[in-house]
Amino acid sequence: MKKVTGFRLAALAAVVTLAGCASGPGGGSIYVPAGSDSRSRVPEPPKAENGGERVWRKSEQPAERTPEPADTRAPSYSETGDQLPAAALTLVRDADQLLRQGDSAAAIARLERAQRIAPRSAEVYFKLAEAYVAGNNLGAAEQFTLKGLSLAGKDERKQRSGWLLLADIRRARGNVAGADQAESRARAL
Amino acid sequence: MLAVRYNPAMSKKTSSRRKSPKPSPRQQGRRFWRLMLRLTTLGLVLLACWMIYLDAVVTSRFEGRRFEVPSRVYARPLELYDGAGISAGALVRELELAGYRVRGGNRPGSYQRSGTRFIINTRGFDFPDGAEPARQLAFAIRGDRVTGFSVTAGDVSPIVRLEPAQIGGIYPAHREDRILIELADVPPALIGGLLAVEDRQFYDHFGIAPLSIARAMIANIKAGRIVQGGSTLTQQLVKNFFLTRDQTLVRKANEALMSILLEWHYDKNDILETYLNEVYLGQAGTRGIHGVGLASQFFFGASLKELDIHQVALLVGMVKGPSYYNPRRHPERALTRRNLVISEMAEAGVISDQQARAASARPLDLSTRPSFTDNRYPAYIDLVRRHLARDYREEDLQSEGLRIFTTLNPEVQQAAENATSSTLPRLAKGEAAKALEAAMVVTGKDTGEVLALVGGKDTDFAGFNRAVDARRPIGSLVKPFVYLTALAQPERYTLITPVEDKSFTLEFEDGRRWQPRNYDRKERGLVPLHQALSRSYNLPVVRVGLDVGIPAVQNTLKAFGVSSPVSGYPSMLLGSVSLSPVDVAQLYQGLATSGFNTPLRTIREVTNADNEPLSRYSLKVDRVADSAVVHLVQYVMQETMQEGTGRSAYYTLPDSLTLAGKTGTTDEGRDSWFAGFSGDLLAVAWVGRDDNGATSLSGATGALPVWAALMAQVPQHGFSPVVPDGVQYRWVNPEAQALTGENCDNARLIPFIAGSEPEQHTGCNGSLGGQIRGWFKGLFQ
Repeated sequence: MKKVTGFRLAALAAVVTLAGCASGPGGGSIYVPAGSDSRSRVPEPPKAENGGERVWRKSEQPAERTPEPADTRAPSYSETGDQLPAAALTLVRDADQLLRQGDSAAAIARLERAQRIAPRSAEVYFKLAEAYVAGNNLGAAEQFTLKGLSLAGKDERKQRSGWLLLADIRRARGNVAGADQAESRARAL
Repeated sequence: MLAVRYNPAMSKKTSSRRKSPKPSPRQQGRRFWRLMLRLTTLGLVLLACWMIYLDAVVTSRFEGRRFEVPSRVYARPLELYDGAGISAGALVRELELAGYRVRGGNRPGSYQRSGTRFIINTRGFDFPDGAEPARQLAFAIRGDRVTGFSVTAGDVSPIVRLEPAQIGGIYPAHREDRILIELADVPPALIGGLLAVEDRQFYDHFGIAPLSIARAMIANIKAGRIVQGGSTLTQQLVKNFFLTRDQTLVRKANEALMSILLEWHYDKNDILETYLNEVYLGQAGTRGIHGVGLASQFFFGASLKELDIHQVALLVGMVKGPSYYNPRRHPERALTRRNLVISEMAEAGVISDQQARAASARPLDLSTRPSFTDNRYPAYIDLVRRHLARDYREEDLQSEGLRIFTTLNPEVQQAAENATSSTLPRLAKGEAAKALEAAMVVTGKDTGEVLALVGGKDTDFAGFNRAVDARRPIGSLVKPFVYLTALAQPERYTLITPVEDKSFTLEFEDGRRWQPRNYDRKERGLVPLHQALSRSYNLPVVRVGLDVGIPAVQNTLKAFGVSSPVSGYPSMLLGSVSLSPVDVAQLYQGLATSGFNTPLRTIREVTNADNEPLSRYSLKVDRVADSAVVHLVQYVMQETMQEGTGRSAYYTLPDSLTLAGKTGTTDEGRDSWFAGFSGDLLAVAWVGRDDNGATSLSGATGALPVWAALMAQVPQHGFSPVVPDGVQYRWVNPEAQALTGENCDNARLIPFIAGSEPEQHTGCNGSLGGQIRGWFKGLFQ
């Protein structure tokens, strides 16, 4: 019974996180429509070898003379994962209801739909973890929690929900050291 | 049974008989008749047994070959909601694929478009996880996104699935693709023609036609060889059930018996339908072309329903000798035979004289390339079949009328096909261009769902599926995994660790020597690790790989999903490991998702004809590497696109679309690879020759343009990975191996595993030393 109480706590934390989500479409990642750039500088295709003459193949490295594209780009990164769009939130709420009815398989199917819409939202993976806990597949639950945590970034609420959920799952799997470690991560936030 | 029973009394009698001197003639006659009676009884019983046996054989063969309801294969359903990413053009194509019509009124299965605004009347669909009712939807598409989405009739919901487009019909229980047809779908001219030429008494005989056989025998005796066959369609069907074609008397007798039995069991139309699906009409390599449905695709590239009289007549004519009248090999012979069939059809009243004249005047009208399928996406469906065989129980796949819900995204598939067909001709000229082939795999970055698959440049052709079956050395695509292995030791390797770009020779114990070289044969001395990877230098990667150890690199590759054995020779550090494009997509999935492997799949769900799901394979994730370390490699793969070997992609792609990727090239350009990802998609492209010949291409000039052409067509999110726990971004001067100010010219913002960043600090001119930094730390930071 103790186990169940523990999960309920973490589940609650995750739900609170969900409720706090603003639901703008797309979340944090930048959406780029197709052909939004009017440039059409097509690079000159390389010539095939002609006749029997052997031509040393072009280097894999770009040729020195290639004009540099405007140096405005830099590797991109995000501090947090994407927000949950309204459509995905609807599916997550459906899944919640199915979980309450004890139908974890149907809840998982609903959450996988949500995951396709919002594949970079930590919440969806935490919810999937909960659904797998309900379906008594703790191995999958742990993996989905880790995946969710990898997308929580600097969002402390999501981090805390994730670490607590992970602690519960690890404890239920008999991994006491791992559970303590996860709990201390949650406390440190 | 009586005849074979051992009778001691009888044997006694026989033995006593030997002793008697000579039997009388009367006794002899009686004995003779008794023996005859016994032999006849024995014969009849044996015949009865044989008939029972034949009956079992022929009915089981027949049942196995009857028309089956194919399993329906569906594309992924389109999800519509506010913010859904799709262009107006792609939506229209999607609706057309699902059979929607532009029409006034609110009939289900129709849509209206006015500028950016759409009104769609959905049909509703029974999905495995519940019914989606028919609705009317209204929304606009702006900037390739759905906006102002609302349900104007039917159950209100912020997210609605359209019914999925059916993309094919397959027979999962059979190894090869079949095209089975129902009698109702067969053009009447084909049936009329077939009966007129092959078996005019088909509807009257009982399986064999003794008169025809007698007529044929007389003709054969007169000619001294076999010139005419008296076989009915039923006999031909029975002959087709068995592979041997020898014409012994016993075989003929067996066939005749089985034909009678078949007619006794089944309706004439059942027999005719099975005949049409079974008749042998040609050979393609090891594969026999059986059935008029497949033959229609194979010879005309069209479905049976679309054939004209002259094509129908050719099929009928070929029944007599598929190889002798092969229209591709012997077009004149085939034309003569076809016109003979046309005149017989006219004589039998199947067609009018006028139709006959018109049909005879037409050419053979063969398709230029034989096709084995009527499926629109043969390469993709090929992978679906393999996944079915891999993941589902054989007995589950035996049942008829399964519904297979795949992950195919028709929009992305079209983009991938366009990218291949439009780019490949630009990569080479003349003979070199003809020999070039390509393959591509596109997956959902975080879902592992295979969205599109291109198996070769001729995308409608079901042939060699290069995306799955062409296993080629991956070249530099292996490099991120070598550096990943090294960066997992942050105390020894960071992105700015100087690595040596200088040639060296390895000598093996057996005396062989190996001297790796850079592609451009230059050497640059010390270069920072990130640059060595983004520019794909060979010498540093071999040095780093040998330093961390080949077994460690092998383990990384295994963890990321390479299931075949990986060579232990140092050449593996330059990608001597051979993988198919699908294998590479699996390998890169873990890199794209920050260390979480997701098994690639093409099937979301399979249900039986009653909509009950068969065993379901859910989304799986499996952490195979520390997200922090993968993040560093992702950084360099973005750098590759911006300033390294992948930068020419941005000649065709908008700057705002952030991407990460890696080129790969093998010796003499035999294989040109590119693997990379955006926020939503992961795609792997391969360009090369089937004969493994040399090309003038590298990864950047062959596969990358194909890959970029795909990415340019699909609206999507840029790649912007979430910074994992334990990663710190710092402004550094990589050459000086030191932290520096943000505004310095040579400053770079680079991620480090926390604790591995340099301790020294340098000014913009690189002059301040580490010791000084310590003293002024508080003042300057």
